[in-house]
Amino acid sequence: RSMNVFLIVYLCILISKALINTVLKYVWQSEPFRDEPWYNQKTEPERKRNLFLQAFTDFLAFMVLFNYIIPVSMYVTVEMQKFLGSYFLTWDEEMFDEDTGEGPLVNTSDLNEELGQIEYVFTDKTGTLTENNMEFVECCIEGHVYVPHVICNGQILHNCTGIDMIDSSPGGSGKEREELFFRALCLCHTVQVKDDDSVDGLKKNQLSRRSCIYISSSPDEVALVEGIQRLGYTYLRLKDNFMEILNRENNLEKFELLEVLSFDSVRRRMSVIVKSSTGDIFLFCKGADSSIFPRVKEGKIDQIRSRVERNAVEGLRTLCVAYKKLTAEEYSNAQKLLQNAKLALQDREKKLAEVYEKIERDFILLGATAVEDRLQEKAADTIEALQKAGIKVWVLTGDKMETAAATCYACKLFRRNTQILELTTKKIEEQSLHDVLFDLSKTVLRHNGSLTRDTFSGLSTDMQDYGLIIDGAALSLIMKPRQDGSSANYRELFLEICRNCSAVLCCRMAPLQKAQIVKLIKLSKEHPITLAIGDGANDVSMILEAHVGIGIIGKEGRQAARNSDYAIPKFKHLKKMLLVHGHFYYVRISELVQYFFYKNVCFIFPQFLYQFFCGFSQQTLYDTAYLTLYNISFTSLPILLYGLMEQHVSADTLKREPSLYRDVAKNALLRWRAFIYWTFLGVFDAVVFFFGAYFLFENTIVTSNGQMFGNWTFGTLVFTVLVFTVTLKLALDTHYWTWINHFMIWGSLAFYIIFSLLWGGIIWPFLNYQRMYYVFMQMLSSGPAWLGIILLITVSLLPDVLKKVLCRQLWPTATERIQNASRHCREHISEFTPLACLKSPRYRSSDCSNSPARRSNSHSKKMMFTHWRGVDYSVLPSVFGYSNKHCRSSAGYRYSGSGLETSV
Amino acid sequence: KTRKPDNTAFKQQRLPAWQPILTAGTVLPAFFVIGLIFIPIGIGIFVTSNNIREYEIDYTGTEPSSPCNKCLNVSWDSTPPCTCTINFTLEHSFESNVFMYYGLSNFYQNHRRYVKSRDDSQLNGDNGSLLNPSKECEPYRTNEDKPIAPCGAIANSMFNDTLELYRIDNDTRTPITLIKKGIAWWTDKNVKFRNPTGDGNNLTALFQGTTKPVNWPKPVYMLDSEPDNNGFINEDFIVWMRTAALPTFRKLYRLIERKNNLQPTLQAGKYSLDIAYNYPVHSFDGRKRMILSTISWMGGKNPFLGIAYITVGSICFFLGVVLLIIHHKYGNRNTSADIPN
Repeated sequence: RSMNVFLIVYLCILISKALINTVLKYVWQSEPFRDEPWYNQKTEPERKRNLFLQAFTDFLAFMVLFNYIIPVSMYVTVEMQKFLGSYFLTWDEEMFDEDTGEGPLVNTSDLNEELGQIEYVFTDKTGTLTENNMEFVECCIEGHVYVPHVICNGQILHNCTGIDMIDSSPGGSGKEREELFFRALCLCHTVQVKDDDSVDGLKKNQLSRRSCIYISSSPDEVALVEGIQRLGYTYLRLKDNFMEILNRENNLEKFELLEVLSFDSVRRRMSVIVKSSTGDIFLFCKGADSSIFPRVKEGKIDQIRSRVERNAVEGLRTLCVAYKKLTAEEYSNAQKLLQNAKLALQDREKKLAEVYEKIERDFILLGATAVEDRLQEKAADTIEALQKAGIKVWVLTGDKMETAAATCYACKLFRRNTQILELTTKKIEEQSLHDVLFDLSKTVLRHNGSLTRDTFSGLSTDMQDYGLIIDGAALSLIMKPRQDGSSANYRELFLEICRNCSAVLCCRMAPLQKAQIVKLIKLSKEHPITLAIGDGANDVSMILEAHVGIGIIGKEGRQAARNSDYAIPKFKHLKKMLLVHGHFYYVRISELVQYFFYKNVCFIFPQFLYQFFCGFSQQTLYDTAYLTLYNISFTSLPILLYGLMEQHVSADTLKREPSLYRDVAKNALLRWRAFIYWTFLGVFDAVVFFFGAYFLFENTIVTSNGQMFGNWTFGTLVFTVLVFTVTLKLALDTHYWTWINHFMIWGSLAFYIIFSLLWGGIIWPFLNYQRMYYVFMQMLSSGPAWLGIILLITVSLLPDVLKKVLCRQLWPTATERIQNASRHCREHISEFTPLACLKSPRYRSSDCSNSPARRSNSHSKKMMFTHWRGVDYSVLPSVFGYSNKHCRSSAGYRYSGSGLETSV
Repeated sequence: KTRKPDNTAFKQQRLPAWQPILTAGTVLPAFFVIGLIFIPIGIGIFVTSNNIREYEIDYTGTEPSSPCNKCLNVSWDSTPPCTCTINFTLEHSFESNVFMYYGLSNFYQNHRRYVKSRDDSQLNGDNGSLLNPSKECEPYRTNEDKPIAPCGAIANSMFNDTLELYRIDNDTRTPITLIKKGIAWWTDKNVKFRNPTGDGNNLTALFQGTTKPVNWPKPVYMLDSEPDNNGFINEDFIVWMRTAALPTFRKLYRLIERKNNLQPTLQAGKYSLDIAYNYPVHSFDGRKRMILSTISWMGGKNPFLGIAYITVGSICFFLGVVLLIIHHKYGNRNTSADIPN
């Protein structure tokens, strides 16, 4: 983006150069002997031309002469770099997921460098942070809790079926309700059954009496149907509009499916209307508690609600189930309404929604289910790394607040010492929105005043950081425009609070609200680069809204992956994608852009200076072939290769030190200061080239046989110095010299020499001028030319080297420190190895002792929860000398996997 | 089919690489080495340059006292040519071969209109271009409906002063032999410039159908009496055709070879320069000079290169010292300190 601004600057430079030269030309020409000396007369038509027309032509001619300062080839190179560079992403083995056989997908290569600039990450919870691999955990019917006791170690044991009742067996009416509940779960879904003989890798259900596979767009439904199967009710199939279920006594029950009121994320519930074999018509509804409870007219609401809330706190996904019995009359009414709505030509959606609203009411609450969705592996590690990298992570989810908060704790978005600020409907009901917002901002800002925000220690334990929880309803209140125009105020206040929170959790969000919040941040006054990551169709709006959209190739179909800019198999891959690939891409592209401007300044500025010595006659300094090929072949490949291969720090270091990401944050390498530095370097070099050659050539003899050189030799000398300097400058900037780099850099210099020898070595029959004939060879035969070339190259490279060394020595950035350290470390590798070995086993053992304990506990949610909170995830001690930290990895890579990533 | 990427070093960006970092430690020796190399080279060049003898006379004649003042406003076709003689004294003898140059100032041979005003294929002996010169030659392309050979502004304005050098020994003028061959690039004379081909070697016949450049007194085939220095391959002509880079330039005119090892080429003493003053430069404020110079391996007198080398070498050395100090003063901080977190 800043590239375009720079281009405008260069365009201005170009135009002003051309203007200056045109004006000077006419000033200089005002004396006739200069304009048209006897030895150099104009043709008749030239003489007759109108003065203004002539001036304009001259202006255009200068524009043409200097147009190379606008690096047109940069666009080509940038595009190529982006396109080819994106292959490295898809090729990355570490980002390949063995389980699904999916690697990362790059749908657009335009945003590669933005990956290194991310300031906000908006992530979905289900399927993104969690695996979206649902497991039925328990159900609660009328306050009685049922747990399929077969769940041990997170695995389903196949040999036992049945239910384990925690509470005492319910009475008669309870029994009836219980059966109804199971049937409801069996019937109220859109699961399809696939027979076992066509297995294609999908989850196979061993438990069923008839083995079959359930397929559904929502994993929750599959989990529920499977869970119910373990509790004795098996859904067999949908045949001729009859749903067949096998009840606990192995009897086949048939229900006629009359109507499906399908799920949508606004209603957050779905219903079916079925007719049992006895002729009763039931409406079964399941959905989020918030959408069910208001519609319930009887049932043990309080008991179920408390159970639901408890489950939510433990991070389980809860659904409530309710039913109502319809009389035939009611049903026909409902059917009529539905029919009308479905046939409506206009506003069908809206009408349908209204009808659903009418039908789905006066429920009798049956119970609730709880489904566990486990965290993805290394989700916590990834989030922690992102936060260390200075990226703000927001979790946007449609789940309940308690569920979401628990997940956030589990994935370390919130730490134990994080002070949670709540901005929820409940709170707003107590106070007014206004007061709540002001209170929160006061809390945040007071803290802020005492501590500077940009201290490096954003994560140290002594610093208080804030987490904000906000729900959809509160958000819409904030976003809602007010009559008195104070909405902007709220919005600002909200943004101010968000900016000071290290983590934000938004729950109960509708898909559009997700996009809304992304937009809000995107358009806030710092214009941060946002990234949205999600897996489901409900994340698409947010993915499209954010600067960079990333889809998880997950279970809820590929819709998100298709609409995203990048798709990755797992959330954990985001870490490498941003911290390593993004960082690399950004460093590469910024150097590429700056270098392109630099080399074109170097190229054209001598041309500009030459105009002062050739009577402003637009005489080119270089031969046409050089002018054409400079950007195309002499200097293009090394920088393109740099743009593909450069690794200023090794990928492992970047992964290990997320804080390095801060070094490139906020477009640090393409700021004006850097741009001006490069431009001035270019101008300086150009002045050195030109005046170096000028003093070398001016009125003296530079050959040992006394013969003289002409203007083309002069230009060739400048050009040779130019090509060498510009290429060597890149060589100085390259930190990662593979054989390809060597080949390209030395190869392009060799190509220049060979080309020049060839270009000047033959009388080219198709050219009508032979001005370059033997010019290059003659130049090489002259001693002073060689000496001059060496001298000028040295002088033009000197300031840059000096600047680099001094900056590194006196004001090193974190990246440079790491570079120094890793270099230091490579030299003294043996010294640190013992230390490294001492450190690593400890990590390993702690990791090992963790995992079995966790597994054995996993059937008891309560315990697991405490376990989550109990284990002290010590932030990896960055305290012990960084040098041995780096050395350890170089000493033994095999430890880094187990040692550095404490997975949950 | 598995989509698993190949585990090659290239695809995983894990190619073995040399990872140099520019630190004070690594750059220090380089600075010292550059300093140590450049300073001696610079001194060498400087000394060589100082040993070169060079003598320069401005014979434009703008000052009233100058003998050439009378010729200041000559035109192209003044016959007989205006002549003038300038006496001068060489303080030091010129030991080795002496090169005689003419120099022009304020003459824009690098003007775009001028530079392109030539036809290289005509000069290369192409018969088609001889009779139909390139359009680039305008307005010096045709004269009285005949094609000009050689066409173009460069050829038209060829330098045509004649310089002769005499040594004055006890009032006797002994002419000094001026060699007019070997002043142009060998490749120019033998490859790039060629006379038109045809039956026989009679240049007059070969240039049939063309006319001389407007400003020339004689046609191109009468530039010299020797056939291998006549027509397009006349060396004075070739030298002129190589356009100079800057408005102040010199061009090689004649060579003075050393006769024997006992005597210097040009002894110290009195000399006189006879000029057939044909070339008008006063109209554009130009200057004309005659330069006598000896040549070393590195060409003529040029103090710039030597001084530049010495300066750059010293700066590098100085920077090396500064960096050494910085390295020592701040070096410890960098190797022991770590990232604050």
